[in-house]
Amino acid sequence: MDKLLELLKDGHARTTLMLASELNTTTSDIGRKLEYLENMGIIKKVSLSSSSCTGSCTGCSFCDEGNKKSGCNACIPDKEILNMGEMWEVIDYK
Amino acid sequence: MSEIVTIALLGQPNSGKSTLFNALTGLRQHVGNWPGKTVEKKDGSFSHNGKIYDIVDLPGSYSLSANSDEEVITRDFIASGRADVVCILADSSQLERSLFMTADYAGITVPSFLVLNMADVAREKGKNIDVNVIEKNLGIPVILFSANDKKGYEPFYKALERAVTDKSIIDASSLEQEYAGINGYNEIKEMVPDGLISGYSPMWIAIKALENDPVVIEKLKTGLDPEKTEKIDSFRKSVQGAVEAGGAKFAWIDSVLSGAVNEKNENITLSKLDRIYTNKTWGKPAVVLTILIGLILSFIPALPLMGVGMGIAALKAPIGEWLISAGCPDILIAIINSVIIQSFAYIFQMLGFVFGVTLVFGLLEEIGIMARVSYVFDNTMGKLGLQGKSVMPFLVSFGCTMGGAAGSRVIENWGQKVLTIALAWAVPCGAAWSVVPMLSTLFFGPGAVLVIVAILLTMILHMWITAKIFGRNLITQENRYGMIMEMPPYHKPKWGALLRYVLGRTKDTFIRVTRVVLVVCTVFWLLSYSFVSGSDPILYKIGMAIEPVTKIFGLNWKLFMAFVASSIGKEGALGVISALFNGGNFYGAFSDAMSGGAVAADLNNTLLTNVTKPEALAFIFAITFNMPCVVALAATYQEIHSVKWTAKIAIYYTLGALVLAAVVYHIGILIW
Repeated sequence: MDKLLELLKDGHARTTLMLASELNTTTSDIGRKLEYLENMGIIKKVSLSSSSCTGSCTGCSFCDEGNKKSGCNACIPDKEILNMGEMWEVIDYK
Repeated sequence: MSEIVTIALLGQPNSGKSTLFNALTGLRQHVGNWPGKTVEKKDGSFSHNGKIYDIVDLPGSYSLSANSDEEVITRDFIASGRADVVCILADSSQLERSLFMTADYAGITVPSFLVLNMADVAREKGKNIDVNVIEKNLGIPVILFSANDKKGYEPFYKALERAVTDKSIIDASSLEQEYAGINGYNEIKEMVPDGLISGYSPMWIAIKALENDPVVIEKLKTGLDPEKTEKIDSFRKSVQGAVEAGGAKFAWIDSVLSGAVNEKNENITLSKLDRIYTNKTWGKPAVVLTILIGLILSFIPALPLMGVGMGIAALKAPIGEWLISAGCPDILIAIINSVIIQSFAYIFQMLGFVFGVTLVFGLLEEIGIMARVSYVFDNTMGKLGLQGKSVMPFLVSFGCTMGGAAGSRVIENWGQKVLTIALAWAVPCGAAWSVVPMLSTLFFGPGAVLVIVAILLTMILHMWITAKIFGRNLITQENRYGMIMEMPPYHKPKWGALLRYVLGRTKDTFIRVTRVVLVVCTVFWLLSYSFVSGSDPILYKIGMAIEPVTKIFGLNWKLFMAFVASSIGKEGALGVISALFNGGNFYGAFSDAMSGGAVAADLNNTLLTNVTKPEALAFIFAITFNMPCVVALAATYQEIHSVKWTAKIAIYYTLGALVLAAVVYHIGILIW
């Protein structure tokens, strides 16, 4: 797992497929390690959906109309068509 | 052991605990909350072979670390000694992952047995699992099981009885060998006395200490003398304990599963398209080309709505004639024609582009290409001093800068957030894309594509310069880790969902644009209208006074007024042009038009007659790189909570747009 994080120190983004290839392992092995690191607070999943909307964007008609709980679909596409995969960032590793 | 045997169900979420619990207890169950927590507690009972079993469904949790209420409840329950046996559930279809709970449980001295649930799913995936190998490696009863197959529960009961009779405990000797490789593990373990936490071995406590488990560390502080806790602290700080412990557990899981699971080998290959997009040399050109093609293609779906806009514009002459014949006052006819009809004509033409751009970029996202765009530009973000995730607000800003500003809330670092928003302002928003292609096409015909390319290149340069200027004060140099991305598979678009989204965005834009255009257009038209015959309107007087200065930027006073209006909303710029060039009694255009003066009635021709190509180019660049709109300004303040930085960014963009206009104007003079 150290090797995985050390690889990322060069600042270059990598896909899970690339990590699996560089670490000579499988994507499911990378997947379980990411899950662990995320649970331990070492990496964090980046929110790509409108669910990060607090429902209070000034001037946003969607929020103004009282749709605060369901997120700001007018600003950011809702999950229905969001096909952006997953992204993680390292937040606590020295 | 008491006569009634208490079983605790332990497993990760979605491991099938609830299905098993419900099948075992039927109606003999009780649902409540764990004391002092909002976490649901489920307990019940069942009998088998004349023996009564109480069963507690522990909260689903990833592991036994004290990271959440669920995990703490689970640990406390096990430590309380109330469970006679723990049934650990794991997902058979992904054992390498789901056995983590078993690895985390190893070292706990409460008897246990392992249920490899969802055996049917594993079979469907072509996995053959030899439970005997796993059982031998773990030293506890292990069964392959499907909780939803109610006829197949006999192996479960047998494993339960064996675990209760044998008091089976996981053989953690090979796991401990893995732990022994972690710096400080052996030393910490030696310091931990037996029974420090009931039911938990020194091995388990030592590894949790290295994982910086707060509850365990607190127990060590209260249970050990200060000298020992200081030593433990120094070991903890010297290693990335959680990372190394995790690695050790996964290595152990692999050894437990070695020879027990047969499955097809994974083939790690990139698709042809991904080989291009992720190529170090060709990735960026490929992505830029994709975006350019997308922008060009977005003209096609824009055409029908543009046709509607042109149709509305064509109504001006007949409606004007009818109003004159009906004896309507001149001013009312002017308002209806030059403000209302003309505004809606432009609104629909703009909507065409909004529809086109949203459809094409929504399609690229739906197919999975936008994720590749994020990946390709991650490194570029690093060069700008930003994190890879900043690319998302930029992409969103192609639709709406306000959305981009709101999207920046995923960035925790304040300086990076401010810089991200500042750079997102340079990305032409949907409103700019609704005005710019139209003006470019009008003035430059097929050369509009070159104008758009120039705008995109300027955008990149603008972002780079802005990052250099603002970055000095906002970004502190720190180690930057690359992002990890899981690319979505390419798939066919869900047209229904995509169209719902595109139409929703178009409708939203229509409502917003109509408000802005009508208000801005009306105000500017009123200022440009001579209410006293023979006198110059207010706007004309102001315009003529400032024109010597605005001319430096290649903008005559009318275009400059439209530039000012674009600060409120870029959609308003065309409305203002419409009002100023075609409106009221200004230049007598309206009366000419109503009397059949085709030149004045047709704004496109009016613009072509009164605005030179260099001026048009200057105007296009000025409004594109001007501050996006007042709403984006408000959203920026809302995100960064700094009047100073919000004002700085707004002033920078206003002045920057004028400088850019001046530059392209003078380049334009050299060309034309």
